[in-house]
Amino acid sequence: MSGKYELVYIVSPDATDDQVSDLHTQVDGIVRRMGGRIEKTDNWGRRRLAYDIGRHKEGTYVLEVIDGSGDLMKEIDRRLKVFDLVIRHLVVRVDEDQDVIERRRAKRGQASSRRRIARGLPPERQPGEGQRGEPDDDRDDRFDMAEDLR
Amino acid sequence: MNGRRTFGGGGGRGRAGQNQQQGKDGQPRRPMFRRRKVCKFCADKIDDINYKDTRLLLPFVPERAKILPRRISGTCAMHQRKLRTAIMRARQLALIPFTAE
Repeated sequence: MSGKYELVYIVSPDATDDQVSDLHTQVDGIVRRMGGRIEKTDNWGRRRLAYDIGRHKEGTYVLEVIDGSGDLMKEIDRRLKVFDLVIRHLVVRVDEDQDVIERRRAKRGQASSRRRIARGLPPERQPGEGQRGEPDDDRDDRFDMAEDLR
Repeated sequence: MNGRRTFGGGGGRGRAGQNQQQGKDGQPRRPMFRRRKVCKFCADKIDDINYKDTRLLLPFVPERAKILPRRISGTCAMHQRKLRTAIMRARQLALIPFTAE
């Protein structure tokens, strides 16, 4: 039984870059040993935490996308709890949700091209077409008051 | 009107004199103009409500960092559910606060 998981862990801000990459190697080691594969690693760098964790106000975030079994993730979860350097971590299974999202996108694409063909238009939207120029940055202004919350 | 609001049309009893100048009691309420609320995620066709996307989530946790209820944001039930899980995950990772300091 295999799945796709996202693992995010927050490393203490006191850790050096070497320690952070060492942690990654350790995670990689566990993943390999248990027949998994790291699909992607993304270091978000140092970020401010929204609230203090322990005495920390900042942390280095690392995201790993892992292909593997549930037992593997259980093991990683157990191991990360032990590391003092990791102040917080989260494991989320993503494959099922991604399937649903993809299916919904595909369905919407099909529906729109069907409608367009019915109207005698080419199935894909042409550049410059559309009701009005939609801005690239479509931040919503409905809840303005919330946005200055950093 | 003298600044007092009555509830229910049958009123006036026991409140002699207070509301009498208003003539008719059962007057229809002035219609309130409210913008029709639509689910942001349906309207913008956002399928993926991701816990990593703080930019997307922050407008739904105003001031006290509580999750904005559906009746205010107008989010549909399905998307509110997804929003909720995303916010809870983001909170665990300290991307979004649990409470306001």
